[in-house]
Amino acid sequence: MSFEVKYMLDGTVAVIDIPERLDASCSSELKDKISEVVNNSVYKIIINLAKTNFIDSSGLGALVSKISVCKANGGDIKLVSPGKRVLEILQITHLDKVLSYYHDLDEAVNSFATD
Amino acid sequence: MNKPKYKHNLEPDYYRPLFEVPIDSKRKIINLLTLLYGSEVSRRIYPELERIMKVYYAHKTEELIKWEEVFDQSHMFSQEDAILITYGDIIRKNSEKPLKVLSEFCRNYFSNSFNTIHILPFFPYSSDRGFSIKDFEEVDPNIGTWADIEDINYDFKLMFDGVFNHISSKSKWFQEFLNGNPDFKRFFIVLSTKEMVSEDHLKLIVRPRTSPLFTEFQTIEGPKLVWTTFSPDQVDLNFHNPNVLLKMIDIFLTYVRRGADIVRLDAVTYLWEELGTDCVHLKQTHAIIKLFRAILDTVAPYVAIITETNVPHEQNIQYFGNGYDEAHMVYNFALPPLVYHAFVNNNTHYLTKWAQIIHKVSDQATYFNFLDSHDGIGLLPVKGILPDSEIEKLLYKTIEKGGFISYRTDSDGKYSPYELNITWYSAINGNYEDYDDSTKVKRYVASRAIALFFIGIPGIYIHGLLGSENDAEAVLKEKHTRSINRKIIDGFILKEKLDDKSSITSRIVSELNELINIRKTEELFHPNCLQIIHNLNEELFAFERRDEKNNDFVFCVVNVTEKRSEFTIPEGLMKKEYVVFKNLVSGEIFNYKKNDPVHIDPYGVMILKSKSGA
Repeated sequence: MSFEVKYMLDGTVAVIDIPERLDASCSSELKDKISEVVNNSVYKIIINLAKTNFIDSSGLGALVSKISVCKANGGDIKLVSPGKRVLEILQITHLDKVLSYYHDLDEAVNSFATD
Repeated sequence: MNKPKYKHNLEPDYYRPLFEVPIDSKRKIINLLTLLYGSEVSRRIYPELERIMKVYYAHKTEELIKWEEVFDQSHMFSQEDAILITYGDIIRKNSEKPLKVLSEFCRNYFSNSFNTIHILPFFPYSSDRGFSIKDFEEVDPNIGTWADIEDINYDFKLMFDGVFNHISSKSKWFQEFLNGNPDFKRFFIVLSTKEMVSEDHLKLIVRPRTSPLFTEFQTIEGPKLVWTTFSPDQVDLNFHNPNVLLKMIDIFLTYVRRGADIVRLDAVTYLWEELGTDCVHLKQTHAIIKLFRAILDTVAPYVAIITETNVPHEQNIQYFGNGYDEAHMVYNFALPPLVYHAFVNNNTHYLTKWAQIIHKVSDQATYFNFLDSHDGIGLLPVKGILPDSEIEKLLYKTIEKGGFISYRTDSDGKYSPYELNITWYSAINGNYEDYDDSTKVKRYVASRAIALFFIGIPGIYIHGLLGSENDAEAVLKEKHTRSINRKIIDGFILKEKLDDKSSITSRIVSELNELINIRKTEELFHPNCLQIIHNLNEELFAFERRDEKNNDFVFCVVNVTEKRSEFTIPEGLMKKEYVVFKNLVSGEIFNYKKNDPVHIDPYGVMILKSKSGA
């Protein structure tokens, strides 16, 4: 599967849609895509989880694979619409205390606009 | 005279004269009991304590008693000490009892490096991977027997956990409390209603976890709130009750009798609770540790206490007491986050600055230098040592490397990071896909070299020794971030990896073995030798270990960067224009001219010893 990146706020915010399952079969690809975004000096990244109902440990690792680079450059990684199962995983791993999450894409984009 | 292999008999020998407690020891013990309970109670309970000591003594072999007559406590530790930290059941082979499997691996693969095995709690338990103990005096039948422990003790010194702060809610003791048995009524800290503790008092109490401090249990007399510092399943013991203390002393000496050379006092910071205080490091807690020490000094002077206090460095070292009356070792908790910081940032600034305050404690007390354990990398110990901004960067780096963060609740109710959950291998090498295996091994071994030669006794956790990567899947499965570093190891696969000389595991084990053997054969790494830190440049961590009697020294340098670096040997170490040095790591001998540069490879480790006397 290939991950599409949409750019918003004059190209300063990247939005990546995640499929139903984020696991070992596609986590490397997501990692590469996030690297590509960061290498293009875009450090504000929104991960859209609206369709996602399963994440394994490799998927989780991919989501945060560039978090320190983003933070160090004034950016962040924010989540949109994490479902119940995804939220549970975030709570188990305490990533819910690190990653901000929003109900919809507009809210997430606006949060970057007001940062 | 060597320490005897058999130190205790299974049965006491009361045909021998009973142990007479020396008057000085008696006075010291009574003073400590008085500090805890007042003079009246102290006088009342002392005879029982003396009985417990006499019973212990009656189990000693004649050989041990004779050996102790010549034992010098300043030789309690030596450069030969290196501790392997492991769960008793972490390596599994089909249906073989895990302690037997552990024994086999320790003998066949690790005995050249380690002389001491810290077997994490091996008792029956109900949660927290062994730290919620149901019975302090039994070996968990799922992993083996006391005979298996004794068997390991034949070739290794042993470190046991004294998990004395709390007991499992499934234990007989706690069940008897629920049943209303009067003998156990005061074994726990109990409230009838929440209102018995004011909000102000609650806010003062330092919490290591985010779980509620009190847990409600239904007893024969109705619902009761019970003090549970760590989890609802780990019920704090009430040391205000002297019977609890006496029971724990009895168990403590049972561990000595069963082979413990070192007893690790787990979570000892929280031992004594006193409303109106922060309930950590209270003078009564220190008094209880001093009491354990005084008892050991009296009946088992070769046994050491190590305190596990994951707290800011300044508070941590308070557990040394005056260097002769409390812990023999404290975990050097600031070392792991600082070494991690140095390797993540390719910069030793904060590590070097902190290390300058670490000196020899006394002839009988020293640091336990570890980088990883069954728990995570504590962050409280570097509060005030690393700026908050640097700690925050470490958090994000850890997440990036596939690790996680554990939190605790602050007095204002907010969550704050408590520890980093990540294997040491992933901490050092995670997210560095560009590095080849050789560079990864070199970088990893360099990080470990710091702890191996730093003043104190080194300890390596089994997953650190094997270079294990994060087990994030176990975190999701077990719903516990610490599970990332507690993976069960298949013994057959491990054997294959250790036998395959090209595997990363085998290369790491072999290189660490070489470094440990350099340490073992060099007296200047004795914990009683001095340590002086040198600030060469921020790419390097450098220190000197020196024998204050004859001024012999070794100069240790570790490069934490991927670049070749250089340094000059400090002038203070060069009494002549030319000195011949041997690098104990490479074996290279070179004639060094004062102020000439010495080159050190990326992630290089150099241990320079003068051949001719500098």
